[in-house]
Amino acid sequence: MKEDRSEMAAKDVELDPRSAAISEPLSSSSSSPAAFNAVVSAGNKSRSCKSSLPVTQPPCPGHVLENVLENVLQFLTCRRDRNAVSLVCRSWYRVEAQTRFEVFIGNCYSLSPSRLTRRFKGVRSLLLKGKPRFADFNLMPPDWGAQFAPWVAATAMAYPWLEKVNLKRMFVTDDDLALLAESFPGFKELILRCCEGFGTSGIALFANKCRQLKVLDLIESEVTDDEVDWISCFPEGETHLESLSFECVESPINFKALEGLVLRSPFLKKLRTSRFVSLEELHRLMVQASQLTSLGTGSFSPNDVPQGEQEPDYASAFRASKSIVCLSGFRELTPEYLPAISPVCANLTSLNLSYANISPDILKPIIRNCHNIRVFWALDSICDEGLQAVAATCKELRELRVFPSDPLEDSESPVSALGLQAISEGCRKLESILYFCQRMTNGAVIAMSENCPQLTVFRLCIMGRYRPDHVTGKPMDDGFGAIVKNCKKLTRLAVSGLLTDEAFSIIGEHGKLIRTLSVAFAGDSDMALRYILEGCPKLQKLEIRDCPFGDVGLRSGMHRYHNMRFVWMSYCRLTRGGCRDIAHALPSVVAEVFGSDVDDDDDNADYVETLYMYRSLDGARKDAPKFVTIL
Amino acid sequence: MSKSEKKIVLKSLDNEAFEVEKAVALQSQTIWVMCEDKCVGNEIPLENVTGQILAKVIDYCKKHAVVDGDGDESSEELKNWDTEFTKNMDQSTLFNMILAANYLNIKSLLNLTCQAVADKTKTIDEFHTFLNIENNFTPEEEAQICQENLWAFDD
Repeated sequence: MKEDRSEMAAKDVELDPRSAAISEPLSSSSSSPAAFNAVVSAGNKSRSCKSSLPVTQPPCPGHVLENVLENVLQFLTCRRDRNAVSLVCRSWYRVEAQTRFEVFIGNCYSLSPSRLTRRFKGVRSLLLKGKPRFADFNLMPPDWGAQFAPWVAATAMAYPWLEKVNLKRMFVTDDDLALLAESFPGFKELILRCCEGFGTSGIALFANKCRQLKVLDLIESEVTDDEVDWISCFPEGETHLESLSFECVESPINFKALEGLVLRSPFLKKLRTSRFVSLEELHRLMVQASQLTSLGTGSFSPNDVPQGEQEPDYASAFRASKSIVCLSGFRELTPEYLPAISPVCANLTSLNLSYANISPDILKPIIRNCHNIRVFWALDSICDEGLQAVAATCKELRELRVFPSDPLEDSESPVSALGLQAISEGCRKLESILYFCQRMTNGAVIAMSENCPQLTVFRLCIMGRYRPDHVTGKPMDDGFGAIVKNCKKLTRLAVSGLLTDEAFSIIGEHGKLIRTLSVAFAGDSDMALRYILEGCPKLQKLEIRDCPFGDVGLRSGMHRYHNMRFVWMSYCRLTRGGCRDIAHALPSVVAEVFGSDVDDDDDNADYVETLYMYRSLDGARKDAPKFVTIL
Repeated sequence: MSKSEKKIVLKSLDNEAFEVEKAVALQSQTIWVMCEDKCVGNEIPLENVTGQILAKVIDYCKKHAVVDGDGDESSEELKNWDTEFTKNMDQSTLFNMILAANYLNIKSLLNLTCQAVADKTKTIDEFHTFLNIENNFTPEEEAQICQENLWAFDD
């Protein structure tokens, strides 16, 4: 669930790259000399008439185009478009490769770092993803891989102007951070989401060396506490910081240093503190940084107030923070203090209460003021009643996530079909939902499919296994079927509850745009998997656990594994032989198998606990640990 | 340059003459250099630009010459004007505008028209047909790049 909570952070700073380009076309007009030279050396002569008459021949369009190509390409930031440009002809390929500043790599094992540096010459921003998502659910042994080390080494040599690194589920060491800090004098942005392997001493060194740093976002990462006062390590003087997030850093901080840092960071817009920041301390930070637009509150609990001392006026601090639109934190909330945020509620577009264990009675007076909210995350402690209040007020809601306060499968969840139904009726603009519950009905899911046709993400997690419709006792087939039929924009689907092969038949047929599909404890037979793999034409990521799918089902997708980013199957019915057949038939697909323990029992020797399969341009990886077998 | 020479005549490829304020014409770096070097008289032949396109370029330069002198309040208006200016241009006109902006060296017009092409042209086939470019990849090269794009650098 780690990643589920981390995405919010990404959303509220995310910009459509193209709109960014359009908003300031002139600023990007200073082109890189290397790229320009490449164009000029391609044979252009159209600007040679400096002091003589203009050339009398009409220009050859091909040559002039090469000259202006770079101009056009600087406006092309969408990677799809850039990929298209690279396929036009050789000179376009060359110019595109020289002018691509942002690179996105969805799987760090799909290519070697040297392939990256061989093709692109001027990368300034690198987004790299490592482990598959099921790693978040303890389904992947530690030390599996996804090391950042080879990438930082390669980029340090190739891209001296690198400014931004954004990693997700990568293993990053303190040494990697040190190399990053030393190699790129103009480094500006580091975002580590769901990463591990480093500690506060690595962050301390990094913060100290990167004098141009604008963004340091540590999001849902596991950061070792090296007992280092890392906040004090930022350089003296005014900083360039615009965003600083360390909600996930589980180590006490030097508050005086944080206060000083905030004071000398006039551009700071986003500050997300850890639970070690008390409510009094938050108050002091807010008084000094009224320019913040996004605030992670830390604990939102007061320290023990010495008797007789006046408590700060928290509400007035919020009243003075007029620019806040995005609020998160509340890591150790004392619920009586929550009303202090009321003054900013009307401005909020995003409210994350996913750590706040609050009753509907606490939520209701708050949410009533949140008319503008687009994104809302909460714990199920708000109950169906709380969701009804959300539905009554939040007409602009685009994204809702409801997490379980008690993730044990057998505990009773206080949210149900009622809450989902209310949301679908009240929040017609909903585009994305993640909903953990125990009791669900087909009726409520069908209602959502009809009321919220804009849904692109539908993730319903009915906890407990194989749970049917709570009222009728029937499988949940009709509900999920309605979602794929009625929500034409759906790109991501997670199914749960009792589901027969029929549900998968409908998903395969109607899930035309589904890119990501997650399946757990569902289906009757290999047919279910076959329906998916023969349908869902856009499927990129398929993750399956605890389903009765075996080699036959897996083989039915042979024709499309080249066109998918990955397939994950754990605790299904795969055999080593079955997986090996796929691997041999598709040499550029890497099939990794691994399990939790080595079983010498002959009966089980052929059983595959986990298959992780992905395509790779450069063959099998060399850094696989012993427990991984690459077939 | 003497101050009396306020007007200048631009002559297009198809011999159309346009009399414009010097301040308008000098937004073109190419014309500016020519005037600086005194390598031309009061009439400047622009043998790469047709009258139809030159008229549009002059429209653009007039608009920008006027507004550039004003304060900030006009910049929004200017932006809207720019958007309208390229909005309904067909691709062939846009293409010729890029060539003209490049030849005349008017950076802001070049940016504007390039942005418009970037917004409008998206598929490989469009690149090939509209821009009349020959695909000179071997089938193997093309397949390899296509695979690399999809496998490594797509989302």
